Amino acid sequence: MASTDPERRDEGEREAPAGEDEDTGAQVAPIVRLEEVAVTTGEEDEDVLLDLKAKLYRFDKEGNQWKERGHGSVKLLKHKETAKVRLVMRQAKTLKICANHLVLSTTKMQEHAGNDKSCVWHATDFSDGELKEEMFAIRFASVENCKKFKEMVEEIAESVGKDEENESKDASAAAGLMEKLTVSESKSEENPTTEVPVAADEKKEEEKSKKKTKAEEPSSAA
Amino acid sequence: MALPSQQTVDYPSFKLVIVGDGGTGKTTFVKRHLTGEFEKKYEPTIGVEVHPLDFHTNCGKIRFYCWDTAGQEKFGGLRDGYYIHGQCAIIMFDVTARLTYKNVPTWHRDLCRVCENIPIVLCGNKVDVKNRQVKAKMVTFHRKKNLQYYEISAKSNYNFEKPFLYLARKLAGDPSLHFVESPALAPPEVHIDLAAQQQYEAEIAAAAAQPLPDDDDDAFD
Repeated sequence: MASTDPERRDEGEREAPAGEDEDTGAQVAPIVRLEEVAVTTGEEDEDVLLDLKAKLYRFDKEGNQWKERGHGSVKLLKHKETAKVRLVMRQAKTLKICANHLVLSTTKMQEHAGNDKSCVWHATDFSDGELKEEMFAIRFASVENCKKFKEMVEEIAESVGKDEENESKDASAAAGLMEKLTVSESKSEENPTTEVPVAADEKKEEEKSKKKTKAEEPSSAA
Repeated sequence: MALPSQQTVDYPSFKLVIVGDGGTGKTTFVKRHLTGEFEKKYEPTIGVEVHPLDFHTNCGKIRFYCWDTAGQEKFGGLRDGYYIHGQCAIIMFDVTARLTYKNVPTWHRDLCRVCENIPIVLCGNKVDVKNRQVKAKMVTFHRKKNLQYYEISAKSNYNFEKPFLYLARKLAGDPSLHFVESPALAPPEVHIDLAAQQQYEAEIAAAAAQPLPDDDDDAFD
């Protein structure tokens, strides 16, 4: 009975063998007074791409063995503004974080040799609020779920890779453009519309204080 | 023996004393909460080990300083000395070993001599095991002494959050207190160079060949 369903959330209705949840404890005076606080999950600005039940393991290099890390829900979350995707997993019931890392272009999912419901990867994990190199393995209830997870992560990693490529192309294109701009700088000073809107104001300040010059100013395409 | 990790925190913290016979699973239970792992190997605790354990609740973050004490007599250390200023307690027994339940009254008596009127949870651990010796119906001690009782399994995680939830509710006097998501902070951007990536891939390939610990157990969904 005990091991059948560690995931269930609300015991009240489904189990309760012989008054399991009745309070037989003594009346004791509380020693603290706590006020209700607003709860932030940190996931408010993200869309859920995937949400599956799973077991997570971390590799203990010293002992050369896998160790359990948590049982719960693994999610892929895409940020609504930055479009960055991260993997977040929480332990069932205590809702603590057992994995929290970005999906990068370098994120590679590997099959686990002995288990077709599992895959393995490396991550720079931020669960504890500090970055740590970890090797994770995850096990799903079915082969299908594992496949779904693996394919989605791979897809995301690939698109992150493409974006990075484009960005570096853009960057070199921009650099080229900047060189051309050298000549036109003096006349464009009055009109600081730029291709780098965020940096525009800063640059203006800089220009004012340093009294122009500087060839690499991306002042305008005009 | 670990020293009581006394770094103070700016949120409520409580001293939790965990007692019970050796081998009933006190350390495994605490470790399960700390790291998620399930330790099969038995290494008796010497004296006491103190671990801070945080939970996020709808009333903010709280911390239990878990005083995981030695169950074995010969490793007992200061014993009652560890109970001083205990604000709540867990008494653990093993449902597959009758003697560990028989000894519960002794643990309870010793504890109550030092800590009066603190909330106490009695935990019958290892309920995942098929042949248990102490059936749920045989457990009556908590009714006589006004303790809360939970059947738990550190192995399957069955009810594993209940003892902490119960104690938190009692300490705060709030029966509707519950655990909430801890904030998942945005992970900072990291850059992995080619050399590091190659190294990770080699490590992953080696790790992927190692078996997962509870591969036989498919009862997680």
